[in-house]
Formats: sequence, structure tokens, C-alpha cells
Amino acid sequence: MMPASAIFFYVIAAAILVTAILSVTTRRIFRAAIWLLLSLMGIAGIYFWLDMNFLAAVQIVVYVGGIVVLIIFSVFLTQGSGQSLPLPAKFRLFFSAVAVSLGLAFTIWILQGYGFLATAPEVPAVEMREIGKTMLSVQSGGYALPFELVSILLLAAMVACIAIAMKIPADKKND
Amino acid sequence: MFLKEYISDVYQGVRSLLKGMKKTGYYFVHPSEIITQQYPDNREQLHLPERFRGEVVMTHDENNEHACTGCTACELACPNGTIKIITKFDVSPEGKKKKAIDTFIYHLELCTMCNLCIEACPTDAIKMAQTFEHSVFNRNLLTKKLNLPNSKIREGVE
Amino acid sequence: MFSFQQLAQQTHAWLQQHTGSFTVLVECAIVAVFAITLFAVLGLVLVLLERKVAAHIQIRVGPNRVGPAGLLQTVADTLKLLMKEGLVPNLADKFLFNLAPFIVMMVAMLLLAPVAFARGIQIWDINIGVLYISAISSISVIGILMAGWSSNNKYAMLGAMRSGAQIVSYELSAGFSVLCIVVLSGSLRISDIIAAQENGWWIFKGHIPVLISFVIFIIAVTAETNRAPFDLAEAESELTAGFHTEYSGMRFALFFLAEYINIFIVCAIGATLFFGGWMPLHIAHWEGFNHVMDYIPSSVWFMGKTFALILLIMWFRWTFPRLRVDQLLTLEWKYLLPIGLFNLLLVAIIAIMGWHF
Repeated sequence: MMPASAIFFYVIAAAILVTAILSVTTRRIFRAAIWLLLSLMGIAGIYFWLDMNFLAAVQIVVYVGGIVVLIIFSVFLTQGSGQSLPLPAKFRLFFSAVAVSLGLAFTIWILQGYGFLATAPEVPAVEMREIGKTMLSVQSGGYALPFELVSILLLAAMVACIAIAMKIPADKKND
Repeated sequence: MFLKEYISDVYQGVRSLLKGMKKTGYYFVHPSEIITQQYPDNREQLHLPERFRGEVVMTHDENNEHACTGCTACELACPNGTIKIITKFDVSPEGKKKKAIDTFIYHLELCTMCNLCIEACPTDAIKMAQTFEHSVFNRNLLTKKLNLPNSKIREGVE
Repeated sequence: MFSFQQLAQQTHAWLQQHTGSFTVLVECAIVAVFAITLFAVLGLVLVLLERKVAAHIQIRVGPNRVGPAGLLQTVADTLKLLMKEGLVPNLADKFLFNLAPFIVMMVAMLLLAPVAFARGIQIWDINIGVLYISAISSISVIGILMAGWSSNNKYAMLGAMRSGAQIVSYELSAGFSVLCIVVLSGSLRISDIIAAQENGWWIFKGHIPVLISFVIFIIAVTAETNRAPFDLAEAESELTAGFHTEYSGMRFALFFLAEYINIFIVCAIGATLFFGGWMPLHIAHWEGFNHVMDYIPSSVWFMGKTFALILLIMWFRWTFPRLRVDQLLTLEWKYLLPIGLFNLLLVAIIAIMGWHF
């Protein structure tokens, strides 16, 4: 008999697969975005199931709260987003089927070759404090440099946004 | 200076918001301020304001006499044809003919309670009553005859 | 003395004995039943409370005919909504139209998980508690966008777009004010944050910066729950009802219920962060006073604080006029966000120097 945690895993995994397939096969662009959202939430569910709470929360904040909302906003701005898209051409269907089967075969091959451990080693509970310290640590294994790089990138993007959105007063325009 | 302006903006904004909240908070904790009338329950002690206009009535004194001369000033003043006056000629004992009203017809369903007829009346024969429970099952009941049966004009009213 | 904590532990032990590895499934079912019951009761109570508060603020009497003093008014309203026909517009995207209210409801249910109702009564004491809440609450915007888009109605669409812009921008301010408390408590876990307030609530211990962050928090969550004065998403006078214009019957009731549940949850979070959740009012070194306060059950403390905050938010709603869209964004980006950032700096200094009590 399956333990309860296995039931949870299979339910979540099935939800991820079904919604992922639906998101690429649906012909309405807004529905595709919603299926993608549900699929990403399923992945967050898997992280919660693995007790990787921080990763799960970040998955939701970044992908669900951020990227999917951006996608939905751009769908709103698309003309005719309510109609069904036409079916793709035959040769495109053929080549995407080939690409998908090749990818699937490659993944299965990698999984077959990977020696899974029969019993997983005890995963240490990741404390938020540790994550925060590692993020700002300058020792080896610390993430201070990538963290600062990303901050500078974001700052540059924000300055650029202000530059685009800023209104130049009419009397200064001619100078 | 920018910063000073900014801080004073925030201060003024918060102050005016708190002022509004103080007023509504006062009403919230003072139920005695409630002005709602619980209508069907307080029908006995219901007090309507003096200038409340319910419907047009004609005043009659104890001798069943009214002050309407049938001059039709109210009929002319009415903006939507609520009043219709049917006149007749009374013959006095001396054989003189005198104009008087036969029927003062008032269409309550058309009336907007604008008070123009009351203002137009030269003899104060009609006034606004305080009654307001006008609902009836038949529309015909809203067409009213204001002068009482066998009533006549008061002596001395011209 | 009877306590919920004991009851929960006994139930857990009994279930472990009888159902073995399926304990977790059975407990999930029990929690779901409790959550749904809580939702139904809260919906009835909060709607009635709102109508009564609104009436008293506007010098009216409010519902007073159904049942004693109008207490059964919301029950009657619910019965009416249950029996109404749920219409679906002809050109709507029917699948998403039907799904949207449930997404909104599901988000509200997920948010319930880390809320500590009393000493030891918490569905899931997750170690990222506060982060979990801000993550999950960012999903609620999807339900609103979905409802607005699938209705195929311009009012609904405009309402949804406004609501999206509003929730996405006010999430930042709410996040910053929550961070202030996280910095002071040194933990994201809800139970740790409550334990840190054993000798006094943060609103008293943290000086003026915590007070400022509380004000920012209460403004930001009012905006996030789409309530007046930030109710642009459903502004009756301009957009009829915004994103739920086309909804009727039970689907409308779900949106309505979710709004009130969200108010309860954000007020519960506010009470937990700033007023110590179920922690009684303790003042350091006043042993006698602290003992007296401990006699009041912790669930009463929690509910009292939460309902006090709910009343505050209702007071806002019936006092202030609605903002325009540009005023809404000016308030967030020019006032709340810079003040919140500066305030976080002050709180960090207080926490590092140990100036809080």
C-alpha cells in the first residue's frame, strides 16, 4: 500500500503534467497563460512537498506573482486575444513532435544513467538565517558578488524606466 | 525647499484624514445622533416637519364652508394639470347670479407637491396636508374631489 | 483547564494509532472542514458587522428587521444568493469564468494556513511564515484578472486592470512594513514573531518607526483587499461593479465572501506582527499585571485584536472618499514606498543597536 506522501506526490505530478500539456495544446492564448500558471504552482507544490519552503515561496513570488502576471498583462494588450488561434501548419507539427520525442528520449536516457540512492541522505532543515547570511557572504560559497550584480542590473533598469517615463517641461525642451 | 514641502504635505494629509475619522468616529460611538425614523413602528409618535407636503386639501370650517371662489388661479398655476375646477352659478335669494365651484378635482397621481397652487390661491382656500400613506389598489381612487358634499363658500370671501 | 492545544494533541495521537500513515490525509480533511466552517461563519458575521458599522457611522440604524436586532439578515441574504440563478454571458470564456471565483477562494484558504489562532492552534507553522503569506497573496491578483478578462465586458476588464496595477504596487509597501517586524524579531516564522513579543508588543517596543510601518501596513493592505478608499477596481459609480459585474448568484457570493475573508486574514496578520497575535498584553517587570492578563484565553486576545483592526479598516471605508488612479499611484510610489524604505533603515538601526525594549 502506498504511503500518504506518495499519493500527494503522484497527485501533484499528474497535475503538473496535465496542465503543462494543456498549456501548449490550447488554442486560446489567455488560457495557455492560465494553464502555465497552474503548472508553475504545481512545481511550487512539489517544492513544498520536499520541505524546500523558501524555494517554493520564491517560485510563487517570481514565476506566479511576477512573470505570469506580466504575461497576462501583455495578453490583455494583444489584439484579438479572445479568438482561438489557427491550427499550426503540418510541417511545424511534425518537427515539434520530433523535437519533443528527442527531448523525452534524452531525459529518459539521463535518468536511466543516474544512479539514484536507495535512501536519501538526511536533508538538513534550511534556516532562513543561513540563506540570508550566504546571500551576503564574501567568503567562498557566498553569493555577495552575484547579489550585487543583480542589484546593479535592477538599478540600471529602474533608472532607464524613469528616463523613459520622465516628462521634460516644455520650456526646457528647446534648449 | 523640497524636503520641507514633502514633510508638510504628509503632515497635512494625515491631519485632514484624522479629522475626518474623528467626525465619523464620534457618530459611531454616539447612537443618540441617529436620525432614522423607524416608520411603521412609530406611526403614533411620528413627527413630520412643518413644511412637509403630503397632498393638497381644501380647508372646511365647522359650518361646512370653504374659501374657494372658483377663480381657477390654482388650475392655471399647476404645471402638470393636476387640478380641474368645474364651476356653477349659484342664484342668491335676491336673484343675483354668483360664480361658485361645483367640483374641485384633484389628481393626486399627477401631483409633484410643488406648492405652486397654494401660492397662487388668493383666498388661502387650499393647503398642503401632512398625510403621506397614499397607496391604493385602484388608480381611480387617486382622483379626488376636494370640496365636501353640500359645502358652500364662506360669507364675505371674494 | 480545557485548551484547544490539548484537544488537538489528543486527536493527533488517536488518529496516529488508528489510521497509521494516513493520519495526514485525515487531518487534512478535518482542517478543511474547520476552514470551510470558519469561512461561512466569518462571512456571515463580517458582512453584518460591516453593515451595522456603516449604518452607525452614517447616523442610520442598519439592518434591524430579520431576527432579533437584525442578526439574521446575512443568513437571509445567503439563502437568497444560493437560490438565485448563476448567469454566464453568452460570449464569455465559460471555463475561466467559472474557475475565477474558485481561484480567489482557494487563495484565501491557503492564506489561512500560517495564521496562529491561539496558543498552539496553527494549521501549519511554516518556517517562512511571513514570506509564504506575501507569496500566496500575490496569486489573488490572477483570480481577479481572470474574472475580468473572461467576462468579455469592458467594465470588468477595466476593473481587473486597475486592480492588477493596484495590487502589484501596494504589495511592495506591505512587504517593507512586514520586513520591519522581521528585522526586529529576527525570524520569518509566525510562532517566533509571537514569542518575541512576550514582554511587550512590537508596536510599543519598537518606538515610532514601528508605528509608521504599522500605518503603512494598514494602508497597503486596505489597498490590496480592494476596499474603499482604494476600491477603484469595483468603483460602483464608474465601473458598475468592476471585475465581478457579470457574476451573479453563488459565484458572486464567493467573490463577496473572499473579500471579507481576505480582510480577516490581513487583519489577523497585522495583529500578529504588530500586536503580538494571541500573546496577552504583557508589560515588563509588572508580574502581577501579567498574571491577570494571562487568565484571559489566548483565542480571545487574538480575536479581539483582529476584530479591532477590522473595525479600523471599516472605519476607513466609511470615512474616506475614493482615490483617482493617478492619486492612487502617487500615494504608493511617491509617499508610501520612500517612507517605507527609509523607515526600514531606521528599524534596522534600532535592531542592530538593540534600542528596542
